[in-house]
Formats: sequence, structure tokens, C-alpha cells
Amino acid sequence: MAAIRFQSTEATKAATTTEEYDVVIVGGGIAGSALACALASAKASGTLKVALIEAFDLSNHINFSPRPDQYSNRVSSLTPKSVAFLKKIGVWSELDLSRVAACEGMQVWDGVSGARITFDAANVDGVQSSFLHQVFSGNVPTPPGVNNNTNQETLDSSNKEASPLAWMTENLHVQYGLQKQIVGHQARGIKLDVFEKTKVQGITTGQGESAQLPKGDWPAVQLDNGKTLVTRLLVGADGVNSPVRSFAKIESLGWDYSQFGLVATLQIDPSTSTAPGQGRGIAWQRFLPTGPIAMLPLNNGYASLVWSTTPKIAQDLKKLPARDFCALVNAAFSASPAELEYLYKNIGPDGQPLVDFQKEIEWRTGVRDAEMSQTMVRGSSSSQGDDKPPRVVDVQENTRAPFPLRMRNSSSYVEDRVVLVGDAAHTVHPLAGQGLNQGLADVECLTRVIETSLLSGSDIGNIHSLTPYSSERFLPNLAMLGTVDKLSKLYNTDFGPVVWARSLGLTAVDKMGPIKNEIMRFAMGLEEPSNRT
Amino acid sequence: MSARIFTRTNPSALKQCLTRTSALARSTRAAAPSASLFTFRSPLEAPTGKLYEGHIPISPLQRAILAVGSAFTALANPLRGDMVAALGETTSGIFLNRIRDQMLQDPEGRRILRERPIITSETMQLDTLRQLPDGTFGREYVRFLDDQQVSPDTREPVHFVDSEELAYVMQRYRETHDFYHTLTGLPVTVDGEIALKWFEMAQTGLPMTMLSSFFGPLRLSSEERERLFNVYVPWALENGSTSKLLMNVRWEEWMEKPVEDVQRELGVRPCPQV
Repeated sequence: MAAIRFQSTEATKAATTTEEYDVVIVGGGIAGSALACALASAKASGTLKVALIEAFDLSNHINFSPRPDQYSNRVSSLTPKSVAFLKKIGVWSELDLSRVAACEGMQVWDGVSGARITFDAANVDGVQSSFLHQVFSGNVPTPPGVNNNTNQETLDSSNKEASPLAWMTENLHVQYGLQKQIVGHQARGIKLDVFEKTKVQGITTGQGESAQLPKGDWPAVQLDNGKTLVTRLLVGADGVNSPVRSFAKIESLGWDYSQFGLVATLQIDPSTSTAPGQGRGIAWQRFLPTGPIAMLPLNNGYASLVWSTTPKIAQDLKKLPARDFCALVNAAFSASPAELEYLYKNIGPDGQPLVDFQKEIEWRTGVRDAEMSQTMVRGSSSSQGDDKPPRVVDVQENTRAPFPLRMRNSSSYVEDRVVLVGDAAHTVHPLAGQGLNQGLADVECLTRVIETSLLSGSDIGNIHSLTPYSSERFLPNLAMLGTVDKLSKLYNTDFGPVVWARSLGLTAVDKMGPIKNEIMRFAMGLEEPSNRT
Repeated sequence: MSARIFTRTNPSALKQCLTRTSALARSTRAAAPSASLFTFRSPLEAPTGKLYEGHIPISPLQRAILAVGSAFTALANPLRGDMVAALGETTSGIFLNRIRDQMLQDPEGRRILRERPIITSETMQLDTLRQLPDGTFGREYVRFLDDQQVSPDTREPVHFVDSEELAYVMQRYRETHDFYHTLTGLPVTVDGEIALKWFEMAQTGLPMTMLSSFFGPLRLSSEERERLFNVYVPWALENGSTSKLLMNVRWEEWMEKPVEDVQRELGVRPCPQV
């Protein structure tokens, strides 16, 4: 194993204090903090001495007190599996549920052909584990549609309340819940030390002879406050450019998408949606040739925008005046790609539109509506046309932010005394809303694996103790990454035959209930209940 | 040999037959409109109602039959303007989208789509154009019309395109055909028309232009074919692909300019005279 040294801002040669820990978590993001909470809240691992290192100030997490009319622009969708985990570690009860929006349905359609697929949470079969999950967990799978659960009570009670597809809330909100729990655990006497506003200067491990000494092979983390933490298990929860991963010499494989994701907080007018219930709780996603645009529901007439598009368009969108930006977002959900191309081209270098966006969009909408109504003149009552998302009326100031999109997977999640969780291990395109959920699934699995090691008296940092984590998480993560990547590439083109084939496929799947059910359950992370101790 | 392809306006017997069968279909079956291309719809029912003056909605099956039938008829007798028109309309549906999308990228093209100017002898004010000096685009255009003894009023209207805007695009495409002759200098002979189809194919990619380009020459004499492929086609491909998209040109506003200026601004070299 190699050593990595970062540039130190202070040439400190003074005697550094060294402390020993059982687990050191580098990275105080959602994955790292969730792991700290999970370890603290479990019985056996609650006895471990854990350190959490975070370079930034965590006080804006614990002091999260937002206005009801403002939402942060980093919003994630939490699957039922993630929510169950957050409930288990006591974080969910800390959240303000008025700032958590349930997503009951999804409408996804092709921006070139209009082919559409609709998902409704009410149709999800709550009892049986997802077929795909069974395959990936190595169990003998039961075919989809076959219900072999003979426990009638479980059947009845599980189906009573359909679970939403996902819950949407700000990342800061989840961070707040996590930090509150951490403080609570510290107050209970759990040995959980948080080093915030602290950077890691270097990670080393014993070489040669010193590696033979007791704890000589333990990683030593040098902090910029002069402390050195020597740990039995080093957890890399430090994001996509993970220094811990570099220290462990684990390769990160993947590619950058030539797309940026633009997030924003939108104010919408629910009365303009033609979907049932005014589209409340419905997530909308349209695949344009430049990338998908998605509107995720929040409460009280707000929504979160995630628009993946070319880097140039993303930068221009950020600079547009609010009025024109909203008009363009509305157009992006209804106009043809050619019409949008014209508008993108007419954004000046300073972000000012070179043509009257409102007028141009109104004209094209008028032409489209006239054709639609003519087409339906002959129609019977079934000719309602497709549901429309709600109109965007405003965008919250300073919430438009672009970030680069990429796909990464580490060649290995574990090394001797090192384990990776969250974005340090894998990064995915945001189009399926899975990244954060994969990270939480990693944390849940790792906590279990550490518990098991402790209860069997093993060294939690030994690579053999860590292998069950890798076996359980590697394949599902890879499968998710691969699927999302293929979807992204499939919809990145407007080439005729590809459009035709993918639209035919989408329309066909939309009509096949059991398959849609499987897809929903896979995305929701639903698994066999109490499969494990 | 001179041929004027688009002059016929007599409705064909086939079209009358179609009108009768669609009326029959409408009365006996329930309507089944489609919101998207991929909603399942019966091949025996027309997807929309009447969208514009002259629109004849036909079912996919009727469309297929008409396409094949008109192809054979037009090949046998290129003077059947209505058959050539029907062939164009039944095969070009998807590609009219592309022309319209290209027009949407250009400010002048958008103005044309918004205002939908029509070209008739009235709107063109042919008497005024005749007064223009020689060498101007308008004067040469009217000279061309008078020589061929035709007028802009003799175009076949659009019948089989299931969208009002795309029907206008098709109509504009036909109406501007005479301007292409004036612009390029191609004669109104059969090989001249075929050369113009090659030019249009390089510009628009319309399948109808491809059909004419590839099958039309079968009817030529070997001497005419030689002239076509050695002289006209290379010129057509080069100029068609590099010139400004002619569908975006508001011809009505270029009438007083000299022909050379128009050719230069649009990026078209006059065709070689043989």
C-alpha cells in the first residue's frame, strides 16, 4: 500500500498527537454521516470508537431553519428502502414532514416521438420482493407475478397502504436529521468524534518492518489540526474524487458524460396541469436529444428541476433572465427539439435572449394546440391527449447551478482496512434518481457487515471481514450504473430508426403491467421482508 | 421536348374513389384519433378529421395503395401532375417535418411559416413584374412563365398531408418551383426537371425527389441521360448542398434584384448551358 501526501499549509513539525480509533470515516456528507449514525445506533457497533472527518462547516446543517417559501436546489428522491433505513437509524423522525413531498407517480416520455410511459405507486405490488433484487442477491428467484407468500396477514396489511414511489426532500434537510442524531448519540455517551472544518493532509500506513508491529498496518490519517488518527478501518465517504480511494490504489473506471446537470428550485402553478389531482406528487421527465429534463414535486407549489443538457446550454440557462428561463423550461416540456434548438441558439453571450422568447414560444404553442384540437374533433371521450406538467411561473433566485455529469465505478470497494461507500465507490447519471439511494444502501449493508464481524469476534478491518460488503453491493451497483448509462445513451440521439425502436419498446412496456411493476419495484429498492437478521 | 409537370388540376378518378371510401369508413366505424405516433391505430381508419381546405384524410392502408399506384402512374406518364403530387404527399410525410424544422431555425423561414404567404398570379402581381427592367429576377421570372405559357395558379393543391402546417410547407414547396428554374437557369425539359429534382434532393432529402431522381432518367434517351449525369447532376449536388436552404427564401421580396445578385446571395452558380 502506498502513502499519499497532500500539500500542507502549515509546515508543522511539532509533535503531533496520535489517537486510535476503530473506524475513521473521511467525508461528512450524507453517506459518511449516515454511516456514523448507523454504527452508533446499532447494539454491537455502538461500542466502537468512531471518528467522522469533514472539511466543511457542518453548522449550516445543524442550524437548518429554512423559510417555508424557499427550497434548496439540491433535492434528492429517497426510495422506500432508503426511508426505511433512515427510520431505523432514527433520522426520519427528526425531519419536518411538511418539507418532504411524496412522489406518487411518474410520467416519462420521449421528446422526439412523444411515446410515453406512466408509473403509478398504487399499482405496485407491495408484498413480493422484486424479481431483479432476488436475482442480484443470489437467491433462487420466484418468477414475477407468482405470489408464494402464504401469510395472509402479511398480504392484507402490506397492501393496505400503497407506498409512494419515492420521497423528495432537500439534501440539507437529511443532513440536518443526521447531524441531530449524531449530537444525540454523543450526548448518550457513544464514542463518536466529529472533526468538522478539518482537512485530511495525508494518509499513510506502515511500511516494511513497521508494518509487522501491532497496529503497524493500520492506516494513519494526518489532519490539518495537527492530530493523527490511527484506525482499524478507514472508510472513504469522500465523494467522487476520493483521496481515500487513491490511497488504497483502487482504480476508478468510467467516463464523463458530455452533459451538465442544471438544478433549480421552481415555483409552479398546479392548476395548469392536466394530470389527475392537478399533478400533485407526480414527477415528470422528458428525454430530449440533448439530455433529460425532470421536474420533481415538492410541497406548496414548488418543484425541483434537474435538466441534463450540453455544457454550453447549461451555462446559458444559468444566465437567462428569470422570465425567459421559466418560459424555456415550460417549452422544454412541450415543444419539439427543433423549436428548442432555435431558442438555445438565440441566447446571447451575456445571457440575454436575442429574440422574444415569449412570443416565439406562444406562436409555436398555438400551432401545436390548433393541430391537437383538430385531431381530436373526430374523437371519442378517450381522446384527452397526453397529460401536461404544471406551468412554471417563477424560479427561486440563486438556485440555478450546473454540475458535470459522469459515471464512475471503482474496480473494488474494499482493500485491507479500507472500504468505500457512496460517491467514492460509484457515481451515476441523475436521470433515475438513484445515486443517493445507492449510497444509503451501501451504508446499510456495511453497518450490517461490521455488526456481524464484531459479533463473531473478527477484526472489522480485515479484508475478509469486508468482503461480504463487496459481494453484496458490487453487482447491484454495477447493474444500476449500467442500466442508467444505457438509457442515457439510448435517448441521447434523434436518429430515426433508434427513435422508432425505442418508442415502440417504451409504448409496449407501458402496456405491460407486470413488467412495469418489476421496474418500479427495482427502482424503489423493495426487497424480501426480513430476509436477514 | 418540353414538359410541364405540375399543371393538371383535374381530380383523378382514383381520388374520387378515395373520397367515397373514406366517407364510408367514417360512417361505419367509430373514430379513433391518435395523440402520438405510437398509439395503436387501425390501418383502416384515417387518423384525423379534415384539417384544412382540400384535405382528404386517408387511412394507412389507403395511403400505401395510393403511394404505389401513383408511383407507377407517374412513371408511365409524368404529365399526370395529380399523380406526381399524390406520390409526393403520401411518401414525404416524415420528411416534411424535417423541412419545417429547418425552416424553424432560420428567421426568414420562421416568418414564412408564421405569415404563410401564397403565390398566385394576383399576389405576385405579374403585370407589375413585367414592367421591371430586364435582368431583374422578377422580369426573368415572368419571361419564363410567359415562354412556357403557364401561370402560378395551376398547381395541384395539397390533399394527403395530415397536418395543417406541413400541408402549407408542401404547398410552398410546389409554388416556389418556378423560382428555382429562374434561379438556376435549368430548362423545363424532362432532363432539366430531373436535374432540378437532384438539386432539391441535395437540399431537402425528400424521398419523392429521390424517386424522381433515380427512376426519372429511365425515360430519357441515352444522349439526354449522358447530358444529365455528366453536366447537370454534379452541378446539382454541389450547389444543392452548399446553397442556402431555398425553402427559407421569401421570393416575393427578391423580385427587383438582378438575377446575378440573387444567385450570389443564395450561393447558387447558374447551371452550365449545353
